[in-house]
Formats: sequence, C-alpha cells, structure tokens
Amino acid sequence: MPGPSRRRLRRTSLIALVAALALTAAACGGSLDEEGGGEEGSGSVKVGLALPASGVYEPLGVDMTRGFELYLEEQQGKLGGKEVEVVKADEGEAPDTGVPAVQKLVTQDKVDALVGIVNSATALGVKDTVSQSKVPLIVANAGADEVADGGDYVWRTSFTNGGVGEALGGAVAEELGNESVYLMAADYAAGRESVAGFKKSFEAAGGKIAGESFTPFGTTTDWQPFLSKAQNSGAKAVYVFYAGGEAVNFVKQYKSFGLGEEIQLYGAGFLTEGGVLAAQGKAAEGVRTSLHYSDQLDTPENKEFVDAYTKAYDAPPTVYAVQAYDAAAALDLALKDADGTSGEAIAKALGGIGEIESPRGTWSFDEDHNPDQPYFLREVQAVDGGFANAVLNELS
Amino acid sequence: MDWLDANLLSILNGLALAALLFLIAVGLSLVFGTMDVLNLAHGAVSLTGAYIGVALLDPDAGAGQFVVAILAAAAVGLAFGGALALLTGGVRDHLRQALLTLGIAMIAGDILRQLFGADVQSVPTPNGLAGSVDVLGKSYPVYRLVVIGLSIVIGVVLYVVLERTQVGALVRATVADRGMVETLGVRSNVVLAGVFAVGAALASVGGLLAGPVLGAQPGLDNTILLLALVVVVVGGLGSIRGAVLGAVLVGEVQTLGVALFPAYASFLLFGAMALVLLLKPGGLLPARYGAATGGHA
Amino acid sequence: MSTGVVAEAAGGGNKRAQIVGRVLVAVVLVLLALLPFVAASYPISIAGRMLSFALLVVSVDLLTGFTGLPTLAQIAYFGIGAYTAGLVGIHWTTNLFAQLGIGIVVAAVVALFTGAVAVRTSGIVFLMVTLAIGELTHQLADSLPQLGASNGLAGIPPGTVYPGAEPLLLAGYTYWWALLVFLLGVAVAVVVARSPLGRSMRAVRESPTRLAAVGQRTYVVKLAAFVIAGGIAGAAGTAWAVQTRFVSPGDLAFSVSAIALLSVVVGGAGTLWGPVLGASIVILIRDWLSQYVAGHGELMLGILFVVAVYLMPRGIAGTILRGKRRSDEPSARERAETAA
Repeated sequence: MPGPSRRRLRRTSLIALVAALALTAAACGGSLDEEGGGEEGSGSVKVGLALPASGVYEPLGVDMTRGFELYLEEQQGKLGGKEVEVVKADEGEAPDTGVPAVQKLVTQDKVDALVGIVNSATALGVKDTVSQSKVPLIVANAGADEVADGGDYVWRTSFTNGGVGEALGGAVAEELGNESVYLMAADYAAGRESVAGFKKSFEAAGGKIAGESFTPFGTTTDWQPFLSKAQNSGAKAVYVFYAGGEAVNFVKQYKSFGLGEEIQLYGAGFLTEGGVLAAQGKAAEGVRTSLHYSDQLDTPENKEFVDAYTKAYDAPPTVYAVQAYDAAAALDLALKDADGTSGEAIAKALGGIGEIESPRGTWSFDEDHNPDQPYFLREVQAVDGGFANAVLNELS
Repeated sequence: MDWLDANLLSILNGLALAALLFLIAVGLSLVFGTMDVLNLAHGAVSLTGAYIGVALLDPDAGAGQFVVAILAAAAVGLAFGGALALLTGGVRDHLRQALLTLGIAMIAGDILRQLFGADVQSVPTPNGLAGSVDVLGKSYPVYRLVVIGLSIVIGVVLYVVLERTQVGALVRATVADRGMVETLGVRSNVVLAGVFAVGAALASVGGLLAGPVLGAQPGLDNTILLLALVVVVVGGLGSIRGAVLGAVLVGEVQTLGVALFPAYASFLLFGAMALVLLLKPGGLLPARYGAATGGHA
Repeated sequence: MSTGVVAEAAGGGNKRAQIVGRVLVAVVLVLLALLPFVAASYPISIAGRMLSFALLVVSVDLLTGFTGLPTLAQIAYFGIGAYTAGLVGIHWTTNLFAQLGIGIVVAAVVALFTGAVAVRTSGIVFLMVTLAIGELTHQLADSLPQLGASNGLAGIPPGTVYPGAEPLLLAGYTYWWALLVFLLGVAVAVVVARSPLGRSMRAVRESPTRLAAVGQRTYVVKLAAFVIAGGIAGAAGTAWAVQTRFVSPGDLAFSVSAIALLSVVVGGAGTLWGPVLGASIVILIRDWLSQYVAGHGELMLGILFVVAVYLMPRGIAGTILRGKRRSDEPSARERAETAA
C-alpha cells in the first residue's frame, strides 16, 4: 500500500490509539465529582495494602504481606466479623511510586482502610490524601517522627525513629559509666531522628558523647574514615543507625577493621534485623540493638506466632511481619466496634480499641497514635546453627 | 607526617576502591574509545559477576574455590560481552546505543532479581585472605591489599598485550584503520567483538572481587555504572592509563575526600568530575588513537 | 504543530497532508480537554502526570533533537520549578499563575548560569556535565532542610487560579491546569522551533562550522536553547507540584532523567510530538502497567527499549513518517554537501 493511503492509515491508527487510550482509562463517572468513601452498609470491607513489591524495600514488603495475611488466615478471612477483600498496590522505593499507589487504592479501588507504607517520605506525602478522602491509614513501618501526630486518619503500629533510639540511651549510659560513646548514622531523616532520640535519653542519664558523624546516605561504601574517627575519639562504645545494604556493609567493616573487641557496637534494631542478619553472619556476633521485637522473645504468645509463621512461610518472622500482623489486629478490633464499614467509622473506632495482644507484648496507641510499647535489648548470638537476636532484657 | 598517619588508611582504601573501579571501568573505556559504543549495560555485567560469587562461594570458601569463581565470572563476562557486541553491532547512533544497552541492563537486572531475590546478599572473603596485617602501625584487611595487587598485575598485562604483542597490534590497527586491516584478511568485527568480550570479562571479575566489599543487591548495577562512567570520562575515553588515573581519582575522592570533607561528601564526586571536564574536556589522559579521535593515530 | 512543517517539506505544499495534520492535532486536543468528563480520578491523575512529564521530555527534545545536545540536566530545572512552586505555595501564595511564573524564572536563571558553563563542551562530555548538574541538584534537594531534605516537601496547599477562588482539589481541575501548562510549553517550543533561532539550533546540530562561517556564534545559540529549555522544564515542574502537592528528591533522580532522554529517542528526536508520544508510553508502562505485573515494571520498560531500537530506528515519529522527507533531517545529498 504505497503513498498517501499508507500515511492516512498510519494517522488514522494514531487517532484510534489515542481514543482507545482515553476510553480504556475511563471508568464509571468522571473525575469532576466529589470522591465519596467506600460502600456503606455491606457486610464486607475493602482493605488496601500499600507495600513495596519492587525496589530495595521489597523484602520488607514480603514480610509485611505475610504478617498481615497470617492474621487474616487465623481469623478465617474476616476482620471484626466482616468479610475482607484485600487490594494490593506496589509502593515501590520512593514517593514517586508510593504516592500514586496510595492514590490508586483510595480513588480507584475505593478502599475503606489502608495498611502499609515502608518509606517515610511516602507516608508524609500521603497524609493529606488520606485525611481528605477520609480513609484511615495504619502505617505498618514508616518511622519518621512526624508521620503520626494525632490526626484522625493516621495510625501507626510500628515505631518512631526517635523512640527506638531513646529506648537504648539509658541502658548504654549505665553500662558505660564514665566512658563515652561515639554516634554514627546515615545522613537522612531516619538516621538523624534515631541519633537524636538516643542522645536525649543518653545525656539525660548523664552519659558523655565523644563525637558524631553522619555518612552520606546510599553512596557510602567505605566506613573506615568514620570508624577511625570513632577509634581516635577514645569512645568505648558506638551507637549507629543503618538499615538494609548499608547495615550489612557497615557491620562487616566494623568487624574487619578490628573494632569489635574494644568498642562495643550498639544500634537501632534494624542494624541486625531480618535478611540483613543473614548476610552479616558471624560478623554481627555480639552486636547489641534495641527494638520492639525479636523472634527470640520467650513468651507464649510469641512462641505461638513464631511457630505459625514458620510453618506457613518456612522462615522466621521479623519485626516488619509483626507490625503488619498487629495492623490487622487493630483493624479487627476496630471493625468489631465500628458503626459500619466506611472509612470514617473505622477511623473513629480505632480511637477506642484499647490494648492489643501482640507477639511483642501488650501495647496500645498513645495520643499521637504511635504505639506505646516495650523495647528490648537484644544481642546477636549463635543460635541453632545460625545467628539470631537473643533478648537480654526489657528496656525501661 | 601526622597527616599521613591519620589518613593512611583512607588513602589505602582509596587505592583498593580504585583497583576495583579500574577493573570494572577499563572495559567500558576501551569499548567506547575503540568502537565508539556507549555500553550502559556495563553495570549489569559487573553485578552478574558479584552474583556469581554469591552462587558459588559458601562462607568457608578457600582460595581454590575463589579462583574457580573468578574463572567462572570471566567466562560469563566473555559470553555477555560477545552477546552485547553482536546486539550493538548495527547500531551506530550513541543515543540508540544508550537506549538498547540500558534496555538490556534492565532486563538483566530483572532476571538477576528473579534468580537471587531482592535481599542484600553477601560475598564471603576467601578464608586465607580474611585476616588483617600491620601496615605502618595500623591494622588493614589483607583482602584489600590483594585486590590492589591483582589489579596492578592485570593492568600491566593489559598494557603489555595492547602495546607489545601481535594481538595488541592487531587491535590497534583495527581501530586505526579498519579498511586496511580487512585487506589483510582479518575480520575486523571479530577483533572488536573480542575487545568487547574481554572488557566485559574484566567487569565481571571486578564485580566478583568487589563482592566482599560492596555485596550484591538489585540497584547496585546502577551505582557501579555511574561510578564507571565518571572514571571513564574523567580519565579519558579509550586509554588504559586514563582508566587508571580516573579510577585512582574517583577512588580517593570517595574515600579520602569523604574523610576530609564529610559535610560535602555527597557533592564531592560530581563536583570533581565537573571540574575536570571543564578544564580538560577530553579527560585527563585521552587515548592517542581510536574512534574517539576519528580513527586515525 | 510540526506536522504542518513536515507537510510543507513534503514536496511543496501538499495541502491534503497539511489539513489532515491540523485536523489530527485538533482532534487530539479536544479529546484531551474532554478527558475529565469520561475518566475517573485515578486515570486522570496519571494523565496529568503524563502531561507534565511529556513537557519535560519536550524540553529535552529541544536540546537533544533540535540542537544536537543530548542532555541529562533538564530534570534539575524541572525539580527547581517544582520545589519553587511548592515553596511559593507554602510560604507566599496559592495563586497558580504566580507559582508558574516564579518557577519558570528561577529555573531559567539557574539554566543560564549552569548552561553558560556547560555549553562550552559537546558530545559525551556535555552529556556527563549535564549528568553532574542533575545529580548535584538532586543531592542539594536531598540535603537542604528548607526543602524537607530526604523527606521531601509535603503540605503544599492546593492551588487557586485567581485571588479568592476555590482551591483546585479535584483531580479533573488539576488535570486541566496541567493540560494548560503543557499546551503553553509546547506552544513556546513550536514557536522557537519555527523561528530563526530554531533554524540556527538545527544548524548547530548539523554543522557548527558552517554556522560559524555565516557569522553566527554557536555558543550564544546553544546557550539560548539551553535557557529556553530550562524554562520549559521549570514550567513542567510547577505543574507537577500542583498535582501531587508533594515534591521529593526522588523526583530528580538520575533514573527519571535517563528515562526522559530515552523517551525522546523512543519517540523520535527532532519532532515535538514524537517525544510526547514516547513519554506517554514510557509513563504508561512504568506507572500503570507495572501495577498489573507486580514488580516487573523495569522488565517491561527494558523490553520496550530493546524493541524500539530494532523495530523503530527513527523512533515512533520516524516510523510513522517513514518515506517522507522531513525538513528537520537533510537527505543523503544534503548530508554529503554539508560534511565539513
């Protein structure tokens, strides 16, 4: 088909393509009407899971999905007596994928409640969206201090960066006595907040700080200059915040540069949690961390949880799994009391659920909607042919 | 000498990082300089080498096992490089090369993620090399010193092969005047594919050797690619000496630079690169021959 | 749009093709304008983001396709526009025109200073210098507390179009604003492309020596193109901030910059509508399709790129126009003549 008719064919196909795109993108109604909440009065509830299915945080997403689904399974697929439909969206690595994922769940899938969010920047980015659309968000990981501040639609079952650090300060101060500590963290919000929290309780308990360093986030491959600074400062302990790949490299280098013996390494629990510990192996032995959970917790509730989880997924649970498990538990309690299944009703009910019985212990939401929970001092020890975070004691 | 004493470890670390970067980047530089091909899949090749380390080495691996892993990485690299040479053969335009090789890198990245998962993986240091030695009063990991040594040896071998052997002469001739070489009965695309393959093999081995230091995880290929690009552009496209100088510069900026100016750490690398490029757009030691210079010596 | 230019070149005033081209453009515009009436919130919000990204890609094409300067720096000016609009919205006024204007000016000024240095180089070196610009701006956004550092700039209030108006909350309204900014940006690009400056830009791409021989300074032409492209990218950024009401350093990442450049190649460098189409397809695959192939978004994109190189050597636009002489691209004879 030579000449003009071929051109016309191509141009027509172009028009058809654009038109088809426009129509396939169409769903009932238009985007100029007010967005309502979910359906009222039905016996089922729609829950959106916004978790990473790609990118660096994918392992966390996997753990959290497992924790949530395990609770659901234990309740025969019902929360608060109502059938649950789960809709998943990929939060990805950063807000540019996370925020649209949440928007999709809220505006297109019209979920009644949202659970998830690993990345703090994403959590901050969707705060306005969830309050505007009146859909409660139960943050199951993101730790930035200001994510939850008492607003009606944001609740958190995980932790605050500052809180995890603050829990450890007093214990380290007691352990060190007159000696000092060196602080180190990745230079982004989580690192800074964690160190700030630690500093607060550490100095309040009379501790001395020998110095601090913030390392470029995501691009540091060599911690030796900073480790040298720590050594030269005369500190007898180091407190750090690192997670993911940085945690693996940091701990391995800490060991290989020979600091392990004389200078005790302390950190926020993420330093040795989950897949990170598996990659660190022996290098992590003796590292002490604070966290609100360890799979080695010796309580009947936790033993039951660990057994069920290991049986279902052939791997030990991590703190991320517990956070999502508890999010499901919170929804369960809320839906029992809620006046219907709309987002507004669920949000209101979340305010009154009281205590949650969790594998980590008993806890409840505080006035900022963050967990008011116990923290544990853990130490990496050789356990059953591998390594695990043994619990030394509860941190007051 | 106080300053040296305080920063000796950083300087050594810079050299260790430079050694790894050289191995990884020299292939990229040669391929671009001699064949004018922009290969953005280079980082993926390197990451593949690292994952080979994850697959073949168990935590108690000895030096023997490590050598086997190196050979395996080299073999896989050769194959990958040959395939890339074939795929990019007909594509002359830089932008389309970038599109093609980046597409290949993305596909490779997804395959690696399917095979090895998204978790951070560790490559163990071989048993005999896991200790530390005394360097001027400081304790320093043996493995890094070995990496520096190995890299120097490979660099020297590469230089000698290229400048002093018949094979090297053939490569240089092919680059300088393909037509003339063809009249001698040599298939120039085979020669150039060979360069591509060897470059990829080096990148793969470099990735494996970097494993105990950098680990292996999805996304690392982009980090490595970016660093390699900076090394190549700063050092000068197409020259081995340029790759050495570029690697040392980048290695030291990332370690010594960060130690001396921690507040500006994130800006040091690209700031330094921008500075070099503005003062010497061709890089510090550009090639004396090659496609980048118009194909004539 | 440039289809008109194309038609003109196709053997002197092929009126039929010209009219078809114009009708086509009009139909597409009407469809885009009517979209909020038929599509639901979520698809509309994706469409709006596609328009802003497409405008960014147009600015890349202005430099890459028209002036022969492949660039990775446009994301920096996009980000500057977005953060500026956000800061203006938070600290001063929600008026969208003000945010647009200030965003464009700030982006263009930064483009002027950075461009003055960058356009002294060319080819791969220029590409790496623009990479440095992009990455340094990215790092800056990640570290400055005034910009929210790594957490990003949240809490941007919804925009208003005139003082005292209702803020634009619904997806359909912000989409229309994004469409307006997109059309304005493309209009500027078209005007520039058809102007004497545009001809000089194409001359820089084809044969800088010849241009210098007729007395024009290639440096000035390149810098002018750089600043205009920077302003357009800044405009795109302000529209982005209005829609998502959240700007984060991730929006300036190298990966976005690379994808913008590659969208130009996929779409067909040197036309303006090709890259727009390329950008739309890339975003569709990355954001919309990836939701349905859980986590394999990169794989899809990778396959698209490889296929594009082999099956569409001149990009989508080039394939559609194959067989047609384009005024942007000289024939073999012209090329031989200009080989300097």
